[in-house]
Amino acid sequence: MGRLFVITLEGSVYSCNHCHTHLALLDDIISKSFHCRHGKAYLFDKVVNITVGEKEERMMMTGLHTVVDIFCVGCGSIVGWKYESAHEKTQKYKEGKFILERFKVLGPDGSNYLVNHDAMVSGSDADNA
Amino acid sequence: MGGVEDDEPASKRMKLSSEALIHLSNGSTVKESIVGSSRDLMARPPQSDGGEEVVGSKGVIKKVEFVRIIAKALYSLGYIRSGAHLEEESGIALHSSIINVFMRQVLEGDWDESVATLHNIGLTDEMIIKSASFLILEQKFFEFLDEEKVMDALKTLRTEISPLCINHGRVRELSLSIVSPSHCFTVRSPKQNTSRARSRTKLLEELQKLLPPTVMIPERRLEHLVEQALGLQRDACMFHNSLDEEISLFADHQCARDQIPSYALQVDANGISLKHKLSGHQKPVSSVSWSPDDHQLLTCGVEEVVRRWDAPSGECLSVYEKAGLGMVSCGWSPDGKWIFSGVNDKSISLWELDGRELECWKGQHTLKISDLEITSDGKQIISICRETAILLLDREAKVERFIEEDQTITSFSLSRDNRFLLVNLLNQEIHLWSIEDDLKLVSKYRGHKRTRFIIRSCFGGLEQAFVASGSEDSLVYIWHRGTGELIEALPGHSGAVNCVSWNPTNPHMLASASDDRTIRIWGLNNLSAKQKDTHGNGIHYCNGGT
Repeated sequence: MGRLFVITLEGSVYSCNHCHTHLALLDDIISKSFHCRHGKAYLFDKVVNITVGEKEERMMMTGLHTVVDIFCVGCGSIVGWKYESAHEKTQKYKEGKFILERFKVLGPDGSNYLVNHDAMVSGSDADNA
Repeated sequence: MGGVEDDEPASKRMKLSSEALIHLSNGSTVKESIVGSSRDLMARPPQSDGGEEVVGSKGVIKKVEFVRIIAKALYSLGYIRSGAHLEEESGIALHSSIINVFMRQVLEGDWDESVATLHNIGLTDEMIIKSASFLILEQKFFEFLDEEKVMDALKTLRTEISPLCINHGRVRELSLSIVSPSHCFTVRSPKQNTSRARSRTKLLEELQKLLPPTVMIPERRLEHLVEQALGLQRDACMFHNSLDEEISLFADHQCARDQIPSYALQVDANGISLKHKLSGHQKPVSSVSWSPDDHQLLTCGVEEVVRRWDAPSGECLSVYEKAGLGMVSCGWSPDGKWIFSGVNDKSISLWELDGRELECWKGQHTLKISDLEITSDGKQIISICRETAILLLDREAKVERFIEEDQTITSFSLSRDNRFLLVNLLNQEIHLWSIEDDLKLVSKYRGHKRTRFIIRSCFGGLEQAFVASGSEDSLVYIWHRGTGELIEALPGHSGAVNCVSWNPTNPHMLASASDDRTIRIWGLNNLSAKQKDTHGNGIHYCNGGT
């Protein structure tokens, strides 16, 4: 394989829990009140070392959004999604921002997140601004 | 003859002059650079453009100027009679009569008269008159000195040159040259004989440069315009990659595509065998570079140490390390006497070959993943210092310059003449920056694919007129550097092409390295060329060596 281009972050870093590639900084969290199939998800202002998938229209808890899935460049595992556009005005604040699923990342303290099987959230998204 | 008469059919008149010109010129052809062919010139009557006549299909060439520079060219070529005849027949004088007088006076050494004439030319800029007078009087001064008329020279200096009140430094030098004749030799450019005055023709040339071009037409103006046009044609020729292409004046220059490497000459490792295995690194080796004399290798382990090896024997000569830190990049000085390396604490260190650290620039100078290069004069060290910025560090002047981008920088490549930097960005663009004086973005190149890996690009071809790059879609991309146009996207590899290298001495050869574990050598698509290495049906693959 060629040499991966990875950005090294400084500070409190969230990293991929498979290959430990840096993904985002604690300081860039906008909101912690998001959900995905596997439980909690955080909204980040900026995420690095990811590649994007195809654009999709997805119906989320707060309405229809155009999103792209994001994948870790190191191991290719899916780590969340990026909001390309929101169809409702109140959701516009999410445009250009990223969701990292808490289950897929290691926290800054190296902690993993255990999926809460009991609280099966019915959908993804949240944080009504 | 002479005088522009409007009632006479203009085309007929023009036709006569062109023929007459060719007639007179002793059998050799008159070189004419015309926009549009000479046929156009004869066929179309010149349009009046608010009183000024123009020639050429676009109507931008003023006839008077055109004829004057042709006359000037004729005189420069030595065709004095032709030049005079042109002036007479067209009624357009090369120079006004007063300029002719002035030129004659300068060439004959009538200094005082020439200075007087200078004032009568009708120049509006005082400084020009003074500077020109200064030059003339300076010549007078030196000619006196050459004739050993020291008192006359002194008088000139005192009463004529000094009162001009310009160029005081020069006046001092002149007075010094009276006192100390030997000093004069260093002051002026050396002459073949001991004469201190330059030739009068040279003086005339200097004066020409001072005076406005409309007053006195610059030397070789026509040649300059033609060269400019040829230069533009050459720059616009996107496939120009061969020295033996001669540019003719008779047709616009355009090369065919066949000068760009586009054919995989060699893919397997035929004729190449393993010489040494260099063991010693504990971590993956991230870079390898040959010493300037090609006898040694420098390798860097990822966040580990830098090792120097003797290539013929395979022996490790030195290990460069820093306690508690890891090296991330390395390079040779252009004279091969020292090496430099990036460290994972963002500093850059310089080392003597024997291992002694010479210098260390602490602070944000380089990143863990960053190229590290040095200009061939050894003055500037270049590295990515921040996600979106490249540092150009002048070692001697201790000056830092920064190329700032909007996107993350993944790699860069320095041109051989140290004037340009090719910057690869995260968003799949390649930016060409000029780094000589001011840092300026010159061009952008797009088309290749990059999402995960470090993909490298390089300059190449004749006079580095092309930009080549690897790509994650397995193609080798080649753009024309000047126009930014994509010329080739070469298929062949079956994996991401990580880097490319254009042969510095052979503009028709390119190498590429890929995730498919092969290195391809690309050349011209000329099947008649001898291919001693290929097998019967062409090319076969082989896994690269260890």
